[in-house]
Amino acid sequence: MKTLTRPAPDVRATAAARTGRELPAEAVLELRGVSCWYGDVRAVRDVTLDVPRNQITAIIGPSGCGKSTLLRSLNRMNDLVPGARVEGRILYHGVDLTDRRVDPVEVRRRIGMVFQKPNPFPKSIYDNVAFGPRVAGFAGGRRELDELVERSLRRAALWDEVKDKLRSPGTALSGGQQQRLCIARAIAVEPDVILMDEPCSALDPIATLRIEELMHELKERYTIVIVTHNLQQAARASDMTAFLTMGQDRAGYLVETAPTTELFTRPRQRLTEDYITGRFG
Amino acid sequence: MDDERVTDGDQGAASIRRAFDAQLQDAKDDVLRLGGLVEEQLRRAGQALVERNVELADAVRWGDADVNELQRQVNLEIAAVIARQGPMARDLRELLALYHAAAELERMGDYATNIAKLAQQLAAEPELPLFAQIPRMEELCRSQLRAAMRALVDLSEAQARAVCAGDDEIDHLYNSVYEDAVALMEASPDRARQATHMLFAAHHLERLGDRVTNIGEDVVFLATGRIEDLNP
Repeated sequence: MKTLTRPAPDVRATAAARTGRELPAEAVLELRGVSCWYGDVRAVRDVTLDVPRNQITAIIGPSGCGKSTLLRSLNRMNDLVPGARVEGRILYHGVDLTDRRVDPVEVRRRIGMVFQKPNPFPKSIYDNVAFGPRVAGFAGGRRELDELVERSLRRAALWDEVKDKLRSPGTALSGGQQQRLCIARAIAVEPDVILMDEPCSALDPIATLRIEELMHELKERYTIVIVTHNLQQAARASDMTAFLTMGQDRAGYLVETAPTTELFTRPRQRLTEDYITGRFG
Repeated sequence: MDDERVTDGDQGAASIRRAFDAQLQDAKDDVLRLGGLVEEQLRRAGQALVERNVELADAVRWGDADVNELQRQVNLEIAAVIARQGPMARDLRELLALYHAAAELERMGDYATNIAKLAQQLAAEPELPLFAQIPRMEELCRSQLRAAMRALVDLSEAQARAVCAGDDEIDHLYNSVYEDAVALMEASPDRARQATHMLFAAHHLERLGDRVTNIGEDVVFLATGRIEDLNP
């Protein structure tokens, strides 16, 4: 079994923060000619893309263009779908995640996921957050676990709202709180990358803005990739945007990747311009 | 009035959009910086005119590139915030007002440069007609500009209206320069060139004052949502 090396401390981000100067970001994930297949059907074609560290990368595009499929390939989630396979290379700190010898459980610990619909386990708030560390064989004692749960809930901007009811069921929270609980659950195992698949599509505008603010805070520690239908959300919340669309063969392909400001003010490709100005299809 | 209008200095409820608020503040800071730059350009242009200082006038002419560059940056910054944040209501008005204020400031920078050019042309003259109104106009323009920038920071409708009202004195001084310049030309036709140059300097200052008033109107728009002509 191949092992994944632990990422080095983020010296570059620290230096950038100190000097106030932007440094070219190191890529945490490097996709090279990635195609995703479901049986004989190609859902995503030949995507080459770098996901920069400590930034938020948004993947946008019309329904059915393979955004979620591509996202799910980044932490081997598609392994669970019969007939699904990935071609090309997905390099994570130099290790090809598509290599069958790489343990998918370890991949998912390093690269966590938050789903479209908040899906807390039917357990207490505390146990939702403690679940991942426990399954991963958390070595500390009760106090250390308490601290880990508190730290995760704080980072997910949920602690103040739930600290007095940690034993209440997670499912009793509001939609926005449930989604932040899922984020706390994802970060409790100290991942490196967080994948978000339409995390706000079931939330109201205020809860949505809260999640976006949270993403902004989280990117100091984590790298985030978000799939969203909501162009405004990509424009507001991301640093880089990748635009996917569907080709004649109905497989999604990457049209353009650019810093978000550039993509939303002066895209290079006509297809991108048409899509973001609502002239698509 | 039974609706709850935004009043002077009202920054609204605490926002959960901290990233957006930070971007808005950055844009505002840059416009204020642009205001400071233009004020300094004007001060130096006025000094160069009075002291017949060619080097200082030259520095003003070179300095205009900085003003233009900062305005260009502000434009890009504001366009990016509008494209990315989808601002509404007061936020949208603020960004539009800042965009317009930056354009007015850039134009004021051009007037300062024009005055610097006149200073260079007049520097070779053996003697200058003394129009005491001109240094006074230049001073007034700068204090008006500072007041307009303060009104913009404070989002103060009252301060903005005061700025607009203050333009009358600049207009009055300009009219007085006009009369004096014509009188000088009539009395000493050989000094018509000098008098015309001074009249032009005064004219640039008068126009600059109008641009300051436009910023005052922007602030009123920002505070109330109403477009008013405050310099009829």
